Amino acid sequence: MTDVDHSSWHKVTVRVPFASAKHASIAKQVIEVDKELQPQVVVRTIDVEGEELVATFTTLTIRLARLASNAFLENVDLVVRTIQEFGEDAERRPAL
Amino acid sequence: MPGKIRKRSPLKLPDKPYIALGLEGSANKLGAGVIKHAPNGSTTVLSNVRHTYITPPGEGFLPRDTAQHHRQWAMSVIKDAIEKAGISMHDIDCICYTKGPGMGAPLTSVALVARTLSLLYNKPLVGVNHCVGHIEMGRQITGAQNPVVLYVSGGNTQVIAYSQQCYRIFGETLDIAVGNCLDRFARVINLPNDPSPGYNIEQEAKKGTRLLPLPYTTKGMDVSLSGILTSTEAYTMDKRFRSDGRADDGDKDIITPQDLCFSLQETVFAMLVEITERAMAHIGSKEVLIVGGVGCNERLQEMMGVMAQERGGQVFATDERFCIDNGIMIAQAGLLSYRMGFQTPITKSTCTQRQVFRTDQVHVAWRA
Repeated sequence: MTDVDHSSWHKVTVRVPFASAKHASIAKQVIEVDKELQPQVVVRTIDVEGEELVATFTTLTIRLARLASNAFLENVDLVVRTIQEFGEDAERRPAL
Repeated sequence: MPGKIRKRSPLKLPDKPYIALGLEGSANKLGAGVIKHAPNGSTTVLSNVRHTYITPPGEGFLPRDTAQHHRQWAMSVIKDAIEKAGISMHDIDCICYTKGPGMGAPLTSVALVARTLSLLYNKPLVGVNHCVGHIEMGRQITGAQNPVVLYVSGGNTQVIAYSQQCYRIFGETLDIAVGNCLDRFARVINLPNDPSPGYNIEQEAKKGTRLLPLPYTTKGMDVSLSGILTSTEAYTMDKRFRSDGRADDGDKDIITPQDLCFSLQETVFAMLVEITERAMAHIGSKEVLIVGGVGCNERLQEMMGVMAQERGGQVFATDERFCIDNGIMIAQAGLLSYRMGFQTPITKSTCTQRQVFRTDQVHVAWRA
């Protein structure tokens, strides 16, 4: 992997703001579990910066950049909707 | 002989009530269920909610669209299950989800929700094998002691028997599952997929009057189904085939879709009964438990019943709430695992597609 020259590859950065750093961290932990389907041609990083979820996709082709970032955003949407639906109730009672 | 030596079950009575949420989405059914294990040893289904992705007639369901359906319905199905159970998410002990086998994208969509809930509420995750879920729910509902299990659905066709903490596969399909065979034929003759193609084939088969010759392909303990599908489809190209089911002016030698549904069912079900019987004879069992979506088929239950009776045994089957994919079976198998100390760390909570996560790879710690 270290021998591959990524300088001519495409790079997409996606920043998603969350209501709190905790929620952004939850999203990171949930989404990063599944590996990219083609790790040789799609290099993904996911980090939390403050209250933002930041993902970068370094890909061999533009098509792969579209696919990877699209799939990522679909997953973020699902996590966000889950937090939206259950987040308040989860905070209501402290976990025993 | 199984069951002769009564071993003590490693699963002790629970010290307190345990409640589990189960999430299922390996095919086109999205299910959420809540189950409770009480200190007196009883098991109660608190809720069992399901929504099915139904495609137009002639179309099957593809991974991408199925995953989209699950993502769309996940929140309302889960909320419904929690509300119907009359509990709060805080009350549950673990979140069980289908790890596999199944379709990749739909499985992962459900796993994402499971992981998020796990982190939000700080609850452990339990990854469950879909097939083991069917078996454990079948055992729980019917009370069958140590049956030969015929697991038949759109994605799986296996004959399973329990031995030494493992559900061993005695026989299986060499190519496609029986439900897949039936569903694909339903598409060829344009049957609706509502409520399920298999159900509609069953209804059409009742109107069939002619048994057409189809290849009968049992291979020892296994079956092969793709050839039968091709042969049945070939009949629709036969010049005797009448897709509207009506004869032209007294012409008796016609083939109707109903005849084909009837012939297909009779042939594949006879094959399944045969391989089940082989397993029963092999291990000396008198009980058959039919699980999986195709297990709802009353003709299959009837044919299996005839065979079992001839052997002095009996057939156990569940109704459509439990034989069709559902969340409660995942909760049941998951909670049994959890009570034996099993958990899935979030970093390992991936999904495994079909063929790779086999029924016999699960360590059945909760049985003797």
